[in-house]
Amino acid sequence: MSLQNTPAAATKYVFGTRDEPGRATWLLLGPCLLYLVVFSIYPLFHSLRLSLTDLTAATGTGNFIGLENYRALLVDPQFWNAAKNSAIMMFFSVAIQVVLGVALALFFNLHLRGSWIVRGILLLPMLMTPIVVGVMWRALLNPDWGLVNWAIKQVGLTPPDWLGSVGMSMVTVVMVDCWQWTPFVFIIVFARLQALSQDVFEAAQVDGAGPFVTFRRITLPMLMPAIVFAAVFRAVDAFRSFDLIYGLSYGGPARSTTTLAFFSFQNGFQFQNYGYAAAVAYMMLIILALGTTLMLKFVQIRPGTSR
Amino acid sequence: MTVKDRTDGPQVGDAIALKGGLTRRDLMQRASMLGLTAAFGGLGGMPAFAADFDMKKFAGTKISILMTGDENDHRALNDMLPQFVEETGMELEVTSPALGALIEKTLQNLKAEQSSFDLIEYLGFLTTQQVGGGYYEQLNAYIDNPEKTPPDWDVGDLIPAAMKNVGIFDMATGAVGEGSDIYGIPGMHSGSVIYFYRKDLFEAAGLQPAKTWDEFKAAAEKLHTADVAGCSFIGANDFSLAAVDWYTRFITTGGVLMAGSPKDKTFKPQVSSKEGIGALQMLIDLLPFAPANVTKYGFAENVDGFSTGKIAQMIFWSTIAGPVLNPETSMVAETTGTRPVPSGDGNSPRAIQGGWGLGIPKNIDPAKKDAAWLALTWITNKKVNRYSIEKYNIDANRTSAFTDPELVAKFPYLKDALKAIETADTIPTSRIPEFFQLNDVMNVEFNAALIGQQDAKTACEKVQTQWEDILRKAGHLA
Repeated sequence: MSLQNTPAAATKYVFGTRDEPGRATWLLLGPCLLYLVVFSIYPLFHSLRLSLTDLTAATGTGNFIGLENYRALLVDPQFWNAAKNSAIMMFFSVAIQVVLGVALALFFNLHLRGSWIVRGILLLPMLMTPIVVGVMWRALLNPDWGLVNWAIKQVGLTPPDWLGSVGMSMVTVVMVDCWQWTPFVFIIVFARLQALSQDVFEAAQVDGAGPFVTFRRITLPMLMPAIVFAAVFRAVDAFRSFDLIYGLSYGGPARSTTTLAFFSFQNGFQFQNYGYAAAVAYMMLIILALGTTLMLKFVQIRPGTSR
Repeated sequence: MTVKDRTDGPQVGDAIALKGGLTRRDLMQRASMLGLTAAFGGLGGMPAFAADFDMKKFAGTKISILMTGDENDHRALNDMLPQFVEETGMELEVTSPALGALIEKTLQNLKAEQSSFDLIEYLGFLTTQQVGGGYYEQLNAYIDNPEKTPPDWDVGDLIPAAMKNVGIFDMATGAVGEGSDIYGIPGMHSGSVIYFYRKDLFEAAGLQPAKTWDEFKAAAEKLHTADVAGCSFIGANDFSLAAVDWYTRFITTGGVLMAGSPKDKTFKPQVSSKEGIGALQMLIDLLPFAPANVTKYGFAENVDGFSTGKIAQMIFWSTIAGPVLNPETSMVAETTGTRPVPSGDGNSPRAIQGGWGLGIPKNIDPAKKDAAWLALTWITNKKVNRYSIEKYNIDANRTSAFTDPELVAKFPYLKDALKAIETADTIPTSRIPEFFQLNDVMNVEFNAALIGQQDAKTACEKVQTQWEDILRKAGHLA
């Protein structure tokens, strides 16, 4: 008996009803649910439990201490320093990447000859692992033998102290992050741009709208869903930034590039304060959840703009 | 063969009572106290006995070792694996990640129901955390049992300072190097800090290698040119900024890092003492004669800088003698000299004790423990130690390797390295598990002082405050 012959009966038997899932439903969902439970839900609850204990490698007791780790975090100046650094990095990285990404998308939308080659090359940084990017740029910016400083000196200028000064190190981290991830914003916005209906632009042209008005009143609003998606995605990613920091600046100098993720890593894997590190991770989760919700609320996507 | 079968009388290391009721362990302890271990070490080899010990009794067993991949130890061991297989019939699987991953893997395995690794190498600074956590097998029963320990594995030849740093631990008091219980064997290398200088530059300038910090600074000033920095040090936010450059200057000018004891909650830091501020100020004062980017110099940058002839002098871990004195990796191999570190007036040269320990996790398959011990004795035997020095210039753990006339003739730095290890100081903060956290605080604040964010006094006072806070939270300071 095939499903095609008696669809209703067979469907009920195999998949059950909406209220009563059948065996096949569970069989199909099973692996996915198992994966989620083992690799997402259990670790999530385990780390939450961990954050409520005093577990360290030294004591190994893991006694329940309630919210003590969270209380300690809130009065820990290093936590606030890391939170500030994460926020700075997220804000400037995303802002610059969105502006550059949109500009690049508009530029490549002109379809100049040979632009597809440049477009392909432009995407390469995004394909690299952040830790590799960090180490590579640390070498390029090496004050003694780095290629960048050498090039700057060749034109008679004095290179900045990229990773050695408190004022410059975060600028360098943001710069490298933008180098790697602007192509991501570009490709999202560019894809959206390609999908926009030309009718609207033709109508605008007929109505006498100039390039600036067309961009501000038509292109930008229609691109907003893609821009918001890319911005939120990148904001979350930049806020969690760890591997780039690890490879590039190792949080220094003087903790000027220590982000929350790096701070959590230090507490967990260098100082073996597992409970405290888990609390930092949960604080990050809370901040990100609140931040993302606020961001989505703040950056309203206007109805009727091809959402 | 039992001890009774022997005809050559009692030997150092026998499990049976020696003259005066001493066991091998007792004798080793007393010998080390009297500084006679090296002499007893010479008696350790027992060839007649060795011939009867069955090295292949665990043939076919697979032993897995977790060890550092940051040094050359794993290379030396990998080179000698065929010999290990040939002599023991066992298989040895080497896993050698970098330090961070090593610590993580180690802790996971020590806390697991059964460790995947039969042998684990741990950093001396982590002895309290890992040995003190009760995770390692006590080794006295193995050492004292001639049926388990190859007779040519000479316990008395192990450098006492290294043994105290990583092997001996008193569980009752939580003190490293106290008591008589042995939980780890120094392996695969130890090390401390020595002074490296360019003989050619010093001779040309009519200078003698520095014996005091004042002479060090004066030489730096005189030798500093546009091409060669007068001196260098770890200036980056790096583990060795505090552990090597600051701490060496601190203790050799009379500084005492900690007062009291963690046990009775009186473990108080003295970083903001006159000596503490003075040691950091010394580094700040050297900035004009150091490489322009010394505040970004970690381990690799200094080794590269010295090896390429851009640094005239520095104090550094003796383990870098390998790359610095090897003509294949250094442009100044022939013109580099070594000496003990400089010191302040009235103080003798000494520095921090480094090195690694090798132990058997308690939670390995019980059936494999004897085989793991045999593998451990093989890995820490004389010929592996000798090979490590000869091929990789690793600071080994055995007096015999450091005093081998052939090796000393080939590598004159060995006598300075041995002296440094013998006189080295176990940093008091390594007695508590918060060691790395304390070290990190110090590196951050000292690096900030070097880049001009704060002066030496402020940096030391900040470290003092933060350390006290950490120690109070951990229950080491009331």
